[in-house]
Amino acid sequence: MTKTAKSDDLGDAATLTDSSGAGESRPRRAMTVLETRHLSRSVGQRLLVRDVNVQVSAGEILAVVGPSGAGKSSFLRLLNRLDEPTAGTVLLESRDYRSIAPRELRRRIGMVMQTAFLFSGTVSANISFGPRQRGEAMAPTQIATLLERVGLSGFSDRDVGNLSGGEAQRVALARTLANAPEVLLLDEPTSALDEASVRGVEELVLGLVQERRMACVIVTHNREQAVRLADRTIVMEAGRIVAAGATREVLHDS
Amino acid sequence: MIAELQSSIGGDVLMGLAQAVGAIALCAAVVTLCRWQAIRVGREAAASMARGLVQMVFVGMVLALLLQGSLLIGSLILLMMTVAAAFTAARRLQGLDGGLLLCFWAIAAGAGTVIAAMIATRSLRADISILVPVGSMIIANAMNACAQAAERFRAEIVTHVGQIEAGLSLGAEPAATVAPYLQSAVYASLLPRLDMMKSLGLVWIPGVMAGMMVSGASPVYAAIYQFVVVAMILAASGIAGLVVTVLMRSRVFTTAAQLALRPTEVPSGSRASVPIESERRL
Repeated sequence: MTKTAKSDDLGDAATLTDSSGAGESRPRRAMTVLETRHLSRSVGQRLLVRDVNVQVSAGEILAVVGPSGAGKSSFLRLLNRLDEPTAGTVLLESRDYRSIAPRELRRRIGMVMQTAFLFSGTVSANISFGPRQRGEAMAPTQIATLLERVGLSGFSDRDVGNLSGGEAQRVALARTLANAPEVLLLDEPTSALDEASVRGVEELVLGLVQERRMACVIVTHNREQAVRLADRTIVMEAGRIVAAGATREVLHDS
Repeated sequence: MIAELQSSIGGDVLMGLAQAVGAIALCAAVVTLCRWQAIRVGREAAASMARGLVQMVFVGMVLALLLQGSLLIGSLILLMMTVAAAFTAARRLQGLDGGLLLCFWAIAAGAGTVIAAMIATRSLRADISILVPVGSMIIANAMNACAQAAERFRAEIVTHVGQIEAGLSLGAEPAATVAPYLQSAVYASLLPRLDMMKSLGLVWIPGVMAGMMVSGASPVYAAIYQFVVVAMILAASGIAGLVVTVLMRSRVFTTAAQLALRPTEVPSGSRASVPIESERRL
């Protein structure tokens, strides 16, 4: 069933999950990995995110689009608990994420930000940062494999100061993947890249989500990018969902 | 006590006032020189000098009374100085809950440890007439180091929100994400004290040594004692800087390992500048 919702309150989140807009080539969705229930956040009198209900399944990409200031990035930050919800919650594999230790939660819900924010040093030091926080060492072969997957073979010993924007974003992606997350959050990951790099990162994201069966949420202001990447899309305005459903239908309707 | 006060307002005071008149005359000449270049500081300079002179005469009279008191009074004076120093340093921490208390503990830890160590090693006599002036010098330096470290640490955090949250997003311990900024803040707060130590005797001869020599002490002993005092100032500064940043570190993250000290979330385009919010701790 494909269904487009346009409402201030989308009600039962299940209607969104059922409304898979995947292309014919995409496999049928598996279990729900990430679910938000009436997720809201306000700071002072300002409502940044208001009563958002969505579900994302393994191997699925959900795009979040909307104008500047719509609350897209605020919503994404709530998903890995970088910010605290003021109402509602998030379920990770049916478990309330507040019952999961924050560090463990963020290992499982990886996030790539708009800016790569690499740590000074080599590419390999950045890649192994996450596992190192848990006292795990990454073998050079593991780092090389990961770099090869993101199209940066031989970059292991490079200083991050010498990378282009596209390369830095790929390192940021590889660094997140080194934690083997179940959910991948992408906050405008290509907004600072040239067209060629954008396409490269998009293909990479599509391939990785399929391979690793991750649930993926991508915030983008670029509607064409949402069409190219996402199975389903939600449109946010003033912190709330105003449209949701299969990407082509939602973006065509709105 | 009154007799002591009266004796201190004797010939020395008249001589001091005459010297003050000379100093004021020199300052007035500089003000005139400034006026020649259309730099008008006359009114402000006159007010500042009048205020400074009155304040110092008042402090001198109060000290003349207090220095006749017991060690307990001396300790109370140092405690009051520490509270005043905490108020001053806490101005750099506006927006952070409990900033005043953080500064108080940091300055008290730095100055208290060092003063206790000096008394224990007999570098400082437990005599109010020595304890208060030397103690105040140590408290003042601990206050400066505390304020500098706190301000630098806060500025580093606000400047590096992205890096810190990138680290948190990768599952890092909150303390690990701010470790480089804590280190640079403490180091920066110690730099003036380290420079002071390096230039000791070469660029300046500090007041304690000068005072001891004027009162007839051996110049070599006065020099060594001055080194001891500057070293203790460095130690007090280091402790104060470390304590304030470590205490701040525990306040800038919530119990859910979220960075609380970050620019307010404002939809882009709605406001040009963003204040720093300190979120309610969970």
